[in-house]
Amino acid sequence: MIDPLSRTLARTRWLHRRIRARVGRTDGGGSERSRREETERNAKSETEGQSSTDDRRPRPRPDGRETVRAVETDGWLARLRWSAGLQAAIFWVPPFVLMGWFVYGAIGWNFLISLTDWSGLGQPQYETFNLEMYARMLEDRSFVAAARNTVVLLIAFTGAALGIGLLLAILVDQGIRFENTFRTIYLLPMSLSFVVTAIFWAWMYNPETGMINVVLGGLGADALAMNWMSDPRTKLFSIILALTWQFSGYCMIVYLAGLRTIPDAHYEAARVDGASTVRMYWRVILPQLQAATTSAAIVLMVFSLKAFDFIFVMYGDTPGPSADILAVMMFREAFSRTNWAYGSAIAMVLFLLALAVIAPYIYMQYRRGEL
Amino acid sequence: MTHNGARSRRAYLKATATGTAILVGTTGLGQAGASAQEEGADFEEFEIVHWWTAGGEEEALNALLEGYQEEYPGVEIDNNPAPGGAGSALDAAVRSRVVDQTPPSTFQIWPGESLRPYTDADILESVEDLWDDEMREAYLESVMDVASPDDELVSVPINIHRLNNLFYNVEVVEDAGIDPDGIEDPTDLLDALETADEAGYTGMAHQTSSEWSTVQLWETVLIAEHGVETFEQYIAGETDDLEEEVRESLELVVDYSEYFSPDAGAIAWDEGNAQVIGGDAAFIHQGDWAAGQYGEADFEYEDEWDFVPFPGSDGVYSLVMDSFVMPTPNPSPAATEAFLSYCGTVDAQERFNPIKGSIPPRTDVPTDEFPPFLQDQMDDFENSDEQPTTIAHGSAVRPEIKSEIEETFSRFLETWDVDDTTQGLLQAHQAAGY
Repeated sequence: MIDPLSRTLARTRWLHRRIRARVGRTDGGGSERSRREETERNAKSETEGQSSTDDRRPRPRPDGRETVRAVETDGWLARLRWSAGLQAAIFWVPPFVLMGWFVYGAIGWNFLISLTDWSGLGQPQYETFNLEMYARMLEDRSFVAAARNTVVLLIAFTGAALGIGLLLAILVDQGIRFENTFRTIYLLPMSLSFVVTAIFWAWMYNPETGMINVVLGGLGADALAMNWMSDPRTKLFSIILALTWQFSGYCMIVYLAGLRTIPDAHYEAARVDGASTVRMYWRVILPQLQAATTSAAIVLMVFSLKAFDFIFVMYGDTPGPSADILAVMMFREAFSRTNWAYGSAIAMVLFLLALAVIAPYIYMQYRRGEL
Repeated sequence: MTHNGARSRRAYLKATATGTAILVGTTGLGQAGASAQEEGADFEEFEIVHWWTAGGEEEALNALLEGYQEEYPGVEIDNNPAPGGAGSALDAAVRSRVVDQTPPSTFQIWPGESLRPYTDADILESVEDLWDDEMREAYLESVMDVASPDDELVSVPINIHRLNNLFYNVEVVEDAGIDPDGIEDPTDLLDALETADEAGYTGMAHQTSSEWSTVQLWETVLIAEHGVETFEQYIAGETDDLEEEVRESLELVVDYSEYFSPDAGAIAWDEGNAQVIGGDAAFIHQGDWAAGQYGEADFEYEDEWDFVPFPGSDGVYSLVMDSFVMPTPNPSPAATEAFLSYCGTVDAQERFNPIKGSIPPRTDVPTDEFPPFLQDQMDDFENSDEQPTTIAHGSAVRPEIKSEIEETFSRFLETWDVDDTTQGLLQAHQAAGY
């Protein structure tokens, strides 16, 4: 989930350091002061009509041959020539342009449209801009319901998938037989398309012939059998359950990878100190899985914001107030009602929600110096 | 995807154009043919976007395109379906292409108010010239009205389904002791459903997982109980003194819901229809596309299944139609005009409709090719007094209002709250901004 732009910048910086190292400068971007001094010296020597001895110093060339350094007469050209950004242009310009245009440009344009009152199949008029569409949301009970459901889905689904994923990972990590088989079985739902799983689950939720009610009936728990998909009390729950089933395998894999990096010594030390299994996992292992939790949670949360296909296949574009989410509502407003501006405004809200989910993670990485 | 036709094909097309021009001239297809001839038009690639991808539908479309190609051998067809029931995917695909000003040559659309967003934005070309006198005579007035939302013909209807049918399983109703022909009005139907229920059957197979089936049930009840005039008043947005009527029709739907399929919330309409075929349910209210499923299941008309017009709506033929239009800027004007003219011919409608399970909008199409059920429907159509449009299938209200009504019904299906839904329906036009 690292922003590609930041990744490009990070790579640029790395390249910068590499290049400087190879041309024999060791400042690595860190000693701004020495560069400034050099610049000042250059400026001074130019005005005095003589060059400093430093500039005549032979510099190793990147190809390894030795050369007498050409006299560096003007500082700004040199800086330009050696500036890492320019050197690395071939690496960062194409992705920068593509991302800038197709992603950030499109987001910007979408924001612009959300400020107009564009609807219908004509072209948008970019004459007056206002926040009318955003004001309209507050009075729109469909929006309020969809926003509420989106948040509930985001929290409940992420929590459930992480919890079950962690449990599965811990169980699979016990050195059981057929570990690979279990791993595959748990991960398999992830490989199915939502169109397929939505239809499967619709069959399972069928109150008459569906597996869930039949099993509940068989266990003598008829009272729990419900109209899962149509009862407003269970509609959103049944969506969350199905999505959790589909994604907990993914969480398991992420956690399993995290567990494998924890040295056995930690388990042994906890045992020696007399910790119970629960206490060991709670105090010793879980805290070390924070990175895994964060990255899995980000993926799940961003996914839940756009959990469009599953709901669309189950209910069409009007799932009703208890199962409507912002992604479905955005589609409905834009494509069923051609309210492009309102649809764009909903899209902006979704975008901000996604940013709110990702921003803390990016910031954390930045603080840790990983960006 | 080539929207503008490929230049490399020009040379080849030119060679066939002479032949085509002669053919067009000799078959006397009127002005379309003439204009194509005058321009010496070589046909650009003709791209058709539609949602007919299920078994019978796809065959029907292929038969239509085959006939078109026979009539105009020079045309190259790019058959580009956007699968998704009732245009759920097609709308999004076509609307974004129209906004980008790269529409296909033609696309499938419900005529009537569905066309309104396109006519508002001046995106559909007039097809007045393609409707010659012969064609105008063969279509009913009401159908032509639906094809021209702004008093100008912009579409060519190709088929008609009827919405106000009540299908039933013959054996089941006999076993329960119900005489479907004796059911006079929607309230009587409630008694019949109760009788079926007491005999151990599902009264009415119905799905509520998506709202459209309930929208069409409600509008049919409204017509059956209060007449087409009330319905037309409603769709025109003159809802001030309709509260009583809307409320009554909704209350009946709530009463019916007692006898819906027990798994209504988890099935699709055809799974409901399968309950009628399987002898679990007595009745189903559906458009006559339901009969296609009976044919596939070797379920015999009159012996095993039969139908009556929805009780109280005798003499009414609620129109569910599909039509084709000519968007602008059109990538292949000559080919599109030729196609639309062809859709208006007896030949096209005779090829398409028996397979699709619908009746031709032209009233002069020979009936021999059609199965007995459709022959009866054609008879009913010609003798019908009123042909209203429908909300659930897009012809009665603009898409924005339709979507508002659908949302009201999706709430209704969760709460079954008649008061709230009545207010929602009365204010739907206003809420959608019209």
